Amino acid sequence: MSAYTEHAPRKRVTIEPIGPEHLLTEAQALRGEGWRLVQILGISSETEIELSYSFGLLHEMRVLRFSVAPGFPLPSITPAFPGAYLYENELRDLFGVTIECISIDWLGRVFDVAETTPFSKVRIELPSSEEARS
Amino acid sequence: MSGEVEPAGRAEGHAARPVSGPTTLPFGPQHPVLPEPLHFDLTLEDEKVVGVVPQIGYIHRGLELLIDKRDFPDYVHVAERICGICSFMHGMGYCEAVESIFATVVPDRARWLRTFWCELERIQSHLLWLGLAADAFGFENLFMASWRARELVVDVAEETAGGRVIFGSALVGGVSRDPGDETLRRCVLAMRPARAETLRLAEVMVKEPTVRHRLEGVGVLTKAEAYDLGAVGPMLRASGHDYDVRARGYAAYAEVDWKPVVETAGDSMARALVRIREIEESFAILDRLVAGMPAGPIAATVRGMPPAGEAWIRLEQPRGEVLYYVRSNGTRQLERFRVRTPTFANIPAMVAAFKGSSLADVPTIALTIDPCISCTER
Repeated sequence: MSAYTEHAPRKRVTIEPIGPEHLLTEAQALRGEGWRLVQILGISSETEIELSYSFGLLHEMRVLRFSVAPGFPLPSITPAFPGAYLYENELRDLFGVTIECISIDWLGRVFDVAETTPFSKVRIELPSSEEARS
Repeated sequence: MSGEVEPAGRAEGHAARPVSGPTTLPFGPQHPVLPEPLHFDLTLEDEKVVGVVPQIGYIHRGLELLIDKRDFPDYVHVAERICGICSFMHGMGYCEAVESIFATVVPDRARWLRTFWCELERIQSHLLWLGLAADAFGFENLFMASWRARELVVDVAEETAGGRVIFGSALVGGVSRDPGDETLRRCVLAMRPARAETLRLAEVMVKEPTVRHRLEGVGVLTKAEAYDLGAVGPMLRASGHDYDVRARGYAAYAEVDWKPVVETAGDSMARALVRIREIEESFAILDRLVAGMPAGPIAATVRGMPPAGEAWIRLEQPRGEVLYYVRSNGTRQLERFRVRTPTFANIPAMVAAFKGSSLADVPTIALTIDPCISCTER
């Protein structure tokens, strides 16, 4: 008998690139299909922040992925997933992502420490909203 | 009292006005029932909770940020230190994610040993929770009895993994130590008194009127609320969902018999019962693991640079689903590590469970999600 057995299926994650402007629409569609929010992930580089919104349906996972410039305003998905406010506030504290109309907004104070937010290892200077939109 | 107005004679010359409106009361971050700092701003009408704003962030350590400062095999030791209760599972989750990038096939015996330590942590975590919950509602004997039973379980952790908190046993490619079949058999027998004691404690929980009074019908989370708010683990299963990540079949869960524990009432008692019944289920899993433990190596060789890529791994911790994400850029220092812990996912559901409850029940409800703030803040 072999000491090695190929086991648990690992590739049950589907990554779907989207435009940030479609985030809320896509999230609402997923909610309608019965998916639940699993997590929101941010990865920062020198010029942009890659965001991955993960949704689960039993053991399947779908990831909506897009990149934004620091300070680019994103809509909150709390209208579709009411529990998303914690993830969205964390994104702001860690990466300086601007998310508008979060149902509970801590305004950058999720992590109540002396260091100012965002904590991102790439120091992000947040532009004003007008600069970000242009 | 809310809505009460001052008698006209006392408020002469003024329009009638409420004596008191909603009151905001800070709860935590330091509170006798909370082992770790967690804060809520509770909005009260009389004794009834009508609004809750949670606040975390008192013990953020920035552990995810250390990922690119350690070689990938060494980061296991950092991942294990996310939590002192689920230390092995955090290490194992990280290892599974890295193994997924390498496409490493872990030896069967390593998978079974991983499962053994996972279930050991589940039992000791649930018994720890039972003691804390009993202490919160003033049942000192139940608190001491459950922690006495837990001692037998952590003794087994020490004998099989070298410490009461399991550090250093998870390894990318397998596990770092093998306690041997004879030790495992002896350990399972040594835990028999803890198993019998858990059954006795479960009976106390179910039948004792003072316990039932504090838990039944308190902090109800409906089936729809639990799902919509992203609850996981016992919080979700106590509201009628049978979602348990172990059904994915990671480690050895596809090869041993087990069933998810589900309750339907959605209240504090249901969450307690899920955990108590899971202890018995985990003891049974340990028996099956030791009886069927395959022989062979305990680690596959993992050398060189990890290929560029990313991996998502989900496990079932005592508090529920945990997600690990790693991204490799082809060097020995990974680019990103992310862990979404079960307590983080359960906070919105806990806030919902508070609403409508009495102020006196808030500490008990907070404990029935079994919060782990070290995990949450990382």
